[in-house]
Formats: sequence, C-alpha cells, structure tokens
Amino acid sequence: MDARAALTSVLYLFQNVSVTSAKLASLSVEDLYLLADRMGLDLPVGLERPFVLEEILAVLEEDSEDRQASRGDALRVEEMKYSGSEPDTPFSEGEPPPSLERRYNETMIRALVRDPSWAFAYWDISDAERSSLGEEESEASLFLRVNELDGEESKKEFFDIPVSRDDLQWYINLPPSGSRYRIDLCSRRPGCRCRCLARSNVVEVPRQALSLGPGGLDARSRELLRLSGIEELRIEAPGELPNPQRILSESAEAAALDRP
Amino acid sequence: MESGYLALVLNAHLPFVRRPDYPRFLEERWLFEALSESYLPLLRLFRRLDADLVPFRLTLAVSPTLEAMLGDKLLGERYLSYLDTQLALAAAEEARVGSDPAFGKLARLYSALYREDREDFAERYAGDVLGALDYYYKRGRVELITSGATHAFLPLYRDLPEAVSAQVETAIVSHRRAFGKHPAGFWMPQLGWYPGLGDILKSYNVQYTVAGTRGALLGLPVPERGSFAPVQSPSGLAVFIRDAGATTAVWSDTEGYPGDPVYRDFYRDIGFDLDPAYLAPYLEEGGARTFTGFKYWSVTGRTADKLPYDPSAAAARAAEHAELFLSERRAAAAAAAGLMDRPPLMVCPYDAELFGHWWFEGPAWLEALFRRAAEDPSLRLLSLGEYLKLYPESQTSEPEFSSWGDGGYGEAWLDGSNDWVYRHSAKAVERMSELAERFPEESGLRERILNQAAREVLLAMCSDWSLLMRAGRSSAFARAQVEDAISSFGRIYDMLCANTVSTEWLTRLEKRNNLFPDINYRIFRKKR
Repeated sequence: MDARAALTSVLYLFQNVSVTSAKLASLSVEDLYLLADRMGLDLPVGLERPFVLEEILAVLEEDSEDRQASRGDALRVEEMKYSGSEPDTPFSEGEPPPSLERRYNETMIRALVRDPSWAFAYWDISDAERSSLGEEESEASLFLRVNELDGEESKKEFFDIPVSRDDLQWYINLPPSGSRYRIDLCSRRPGCRCRCLARSNVVEVPRQALSLGPGGLDARSRELLRLSGIEELRIEAPGELPNPQRILSESAEAAALDRP
Repeated sequence: MESGYLALVLNAHLPFVRRPDYPRFLEERWLFEALSESYLPLLRLFRRLDADLVPFRLTLAVSPTLEAMLGDKLLGERYLSYLDTQLALAAAEEARVGSDPAFGKLARLYSALYREDREDFAERYAGDVLGALDYYYKRGRVELITSGATHAFLPLYRDLPEAVSAQVETAIVSHRRAFGKHPAGFWMPQLGWYPGLGDILKSYNVQYTVAGTRGALLGLPVPERGSFAPVQSPSGLAVFIRDAGATTAVWSDTEGYPGDPVYRDFYRDIGFDLDPAYLAPYLEEGGARTFTGFKYWSVTGRTADKLPYDPSAAAARAAEHAELFLSERRAAAAAAAGLMDRPPLMVCPYDAELFGHWWFEGPAWLEALFRRAAEDPSLRLLSLGEYLKLYPESQTSEPEFSSWGDGGYGEAWLDGSNDWVYRHSAKAVERMSELAERFPEESGLRERILNQAAREVLLAMCSDWSLLMRAGRSSAFARAQVEDAISSFGRIYDMLCANTVSTEWLTRLEKRNNLFPDINYRIFRKKR
C-alpha cells in the first residue's frame, strides 16, 4: 500500500470507526512526520515513533469528536450519500481550483442570519472609497453599527463592533430577542461624526421559544404540543441571557450618523 | 374511521456531478451507489407491493439535479460500466470466499444485487428510471414532488427573492419535463424555511411543503394541533410538520433502528480491508482506497471486532422494527386523537438514500411497513396530497426560520468553512438579474449564453457543497464545484459586458453542465 492510500484509509476510518492506531502504526516514521506536517502539527525533529503517533492520534481524535458532536442526525445521513468520496486528507490533490476574486471592488455590506444568536455580515469597500478614507485621515477607524429596528426603519438601540481595514466579514452575536436588525458599515475619526459607508439588508432573528400571546393555549393544545416533542426541542422557556457584546449607546449618536 | 394517518415522505437528491471531460470520475459514483443500493431496490419494492396488491402510498421528492442525472445518457452508460465492474468484483469475491459458510453467501448476495440492478436498469427500464417512477406516479401509488433546482438552502437567499424564485421555477419546469405534470408539493432543501417563503411557493401554484418540527411549532400563531396536522402559511400554502418521534426512531445515531447490532455495518468495507493489488482492477484510477459496496460485517456494537453479517437475522429484525414503528405511531395517534377534531397525522420525512445505501435493510423495513400497515387499517398510510383532499383547510400560521440541520437553523450551511460561498453566489445572482434586465429579449447565441449563465448561478447555490465543506469530506471537490460555477458565470458576465463570445468555450460548458435544458434566464428578472 502506498503512503497516500494508507493515510486516506486511516483518516477515513478514524473519522468513522475506532480502529486507527493499528493503521497508523503501519506507516513509516517519515510518512508520519509528513502527515503531522500536513495537519499543521509542529513536531520537534527526531521524535521517537510512538511519540509522533501519539501526537497525531490526539489531534485526530479531537477533530473526530468535534465533528461528530457538531453534526445532527439528519446531516449524518446526508453525508452518507457521499460515501464514494474520500475524507479530506493532507494529501488531497487534484486540479487546482480556479481562483476567485476575493472581493468585487464595491462598497457594500450584506447580512445573513445563521441562528437565534448569530448573524454573519460580509462587506467590501471600493478602492476609491478606501483611498478617500485614507485621504481624510490616517486614523480613520471602521466599525459595524448593529441597529435593532423598531418598525421598518426606525432604530431602537444599537451597538458597535470595531473592525479593521483588512476585515471583510464578521460573525455578530445578537441579543436573544427575536428582533430585526440592520448593520451599517461605518468609519469614524476621533472627535468627528461617524460616516455610514454602506447599509445592509434587514435581518430577522428567529425565535427560539414558543410565542403564546396574551390568551395562551388551551389545555388540549398544550398537550398536543407536548406530544409533538416541544420538551425535547427545548423551545418552551424563553430565558433572557445577557449579551457581553451589546453596548447600549445614546440615540443622539445614532442620529448623528450620516447615511450613505 | 381511521384513528390516525401516516405519511412517509422521501427526498431523493444528489448534487449535479457529470464530467464528460474525464473518462471516469470518482464523484459520479455517488449516483451509481444510490442507484444500485437505493433507487433500484426501491423500485423493486414498489413492484413487489404492486404485484401483491398492497395499497402502498408514498410521497417522493425527486430533486431537479437528480432528475437531470437520471435522464442523462452518458451517466447511464457509465452506470452500466460501473455495474460491470461491480459484477466482476462480485465474481472475484465469490472465488475468494465462496466456500466460507459466513462470507460465501454474502458474496453471492452482492452478486445477485448487482445482477438484478443491471437487468432492471438495462432491460426492464431501458435506462429510464424516471419513467419507472412515473409509472407509480400515474398509478397513484407514489406522489412525486419537486425540490429546489440545485438544492439551495433558501433561508440564506431570503433577501434575494429573484434567486429563490429561480430555484422554484426551474424546479417546476424540470419536474414537468420529467413527469408531464405540475408538482403539487415542494420539498424545501434541508427543510430550510423562512417566513415569507410560502408566498413565493404559492405564486407558482405549489400546494404544500414540509417543515421541521421546531420551525413549525415556533410559528405564529402557535399550531394548536401541534405537529399532528399541517398549518397554512398566510398565503395559503399547506405546511406539513415533521413528526419528531418518527424522526428519532429512524434517524437517530444512538436510538435509531439502523444502529441495531444485527444490521449490516456501513463503514467496514473490503475497500479498506483487502490488499490494494487485489482491489486495483475495481477501483478508480490511482487505486485510492474507497468503498466498494462489499461489506461483510454486522454493526455488532461499538467495537472493532465485528461479527459476520447474517442477512436472515437482519431481515427478521427489519420486520420487527417495522412493527415496532407502526405500534409506536399507533400509540402516538391514540394519545393525540382524543384531543383533536380530526385524526392525527404523522409526517415522516427521510432521505431516500438512507434506505439501502446507508441502512442496507431500509428497503426491507419499508416493505414490511407497507405490508403490515395494509393489514391493520387503523393507521392509514397516505400521501400528502391525499391528506389535503380530506382536509383542505388548516389553521393559519407562519412557521419560523428553521431547517433539519444541526441546531435547527442555518449553522450547517454558514460557518467558517463555507461562509465565503455567499459573497460570490449572491454577487452572481445580482449580476444575473442585471443581465436579465439588460437583455430581456435575446435570442440565438446570446440567449444560449445567458441561459448557461443562469445554470451556473444555480449550480453555485447548491447547499450540498457547503455541507461537505463543513463536514470535512471532499471539501476540496466541493469548493472547486462552487468556484467553477462562479468562475464560469464570471467569464460569461465579462463576455457579455465586452460583447464578445467564445463559442467554443460556451459549447464545451453547455455539454458539461447540460442540466435544465428548458431554462429561461429571464427567471432572474426582478418580479414586478
């Protein structure tokens, strides 16, 4: 068996069954070092074979556990469709994929909701805009202003997240409110007004608990919901959680923000 | 009167993989394995039930990308070649272990499986698996529905309604081309729902869909009948609700039937156990180890010391599990029935490829389920369309954003491994809309190139690639699929902006990504 096939086999088996150390043990110490290198492990030169093995196994086990724990039942089955394929290995090769533009040289921001706690925003600032930022002042800083909306456009509250000029995306931890948000990409220099460079679409954070309304539900419906599994789904009790990222600001500052 | 209803819903889907520019292509095996172990065995099961006059009912979503591949001549030819390889391996295995009391019968079992597959595919159906499904559709046994054109996870395109509409419209056109009928139902890829999606589906005259339990129960107002009846979105779309109990019984990694010790172990395969030199003639070029489909061991338990697989014991257990499943659903129906104004409905949606490919005994379980359900009419099996004929009205409620993925929302399709996709796919959608607005009346070569651009945008939206990137399986391939689609679209966009067209390149691309022959790029125009 060549080294690549052996490693492919080993990695696959490791992710799916518990028989890996024997397979890894069949590799030469050079192959093990190569594998460790491709896995991003920085091992000292000249280690004895058992120690190299141990390091690799520890990382593989951790990775396997993380992946298993993070996958739901439905997705585990989904992935089984692709059993004819190979798991990712340090030796994956093939045609180099065509490279994509990293950005499209435009000033924009778009927001996506991932779950009740997290939204994802990505943005870009055109070269011309970047130049003008630079010309305005070298200290201009960028930040995301996360506006909680009350109604279509009006703002209730907001908090800011500083970002660097190299950042092009950010995961935003949202308060568990079931609210609507809009994210502004802004620049600011000390002592000056903020400037909104781009404004995102409005995103709606999903509920994670039943919303029963003032009348509540009758006993029959409550029992039907219980039989439907709301306890296992843990969607009964709301429970407000503090959000460390949230910085309530004065509405005057929000009002001072220039729109694009 | 029945005390309850049971609706089995299967989703048959694979992403589009077709590479005529290679003599053989590893990822095309996904289709071949699903055909061999799931789709053709399911058709044989339909045939047996039909012959025995068992009134089975099933709702089956066939995704447009799968339709495209099942209808493709080249892939059909390659499938036959794959089967010939499998039969050759079966012969070698019979020679190797034929005299072994435990393994000899298993080698013969696989030999019979691939022989039957070949006979069915080549002779009985003449390569036309869609036609075979259509036969049961027309007989009213199987209700065929459609799904997103390229299985896009629609909640992540919520702010791009033209992209969602394009996924829906292309799917409907594909379904009508394959089966000659307008689909009544739409399987939301990954059960991905967001408030407002019903308006788009309803505008295409879709009657129903299925949502996850979490999203539906979190709907506004809360569904008064729990998951035991559908709700209607504000636009009037019927939204059936996945039954949580039935889900756990089959899907759960720990409690689900497929994990029973007597069933065949999926992972232990001779492709990883035997000498590569012996396997080389039956593997892809390069001889990388992979699954061969020849598996001789049972699940046994959480141990590396597996016991040999015993098909008779497994078949008996599948029948027991079918009975258990039915008795548990009857008990659930009985518990809910007294609280309801109509018999409770339990909707059980699964991946079609679960049955046979992963859970080898899945088709036997299904067959036993249909046969036993027919003997006891207290729990009636029906299709979702049949239910709607009985109960066309339901409580109005708008389900919450949800999916059947980890955590119940969008984590599986949006994390650090795959979030880069959305910058590009959204930009492609935006530019495609721009092109459709700029060139609304094109014909000839320019229409061809715009249609191909639309195909590439749809391909870039495929949720399977994001899933694979996150799972760390074939992620380089998955990434290349997205990058390829985005790059091809970008090239077309640049060509149209520069008013130059490379006909040779376009023709090559059309030949490779030949899905959706009836596509109309104007689906990306903004709705007015």
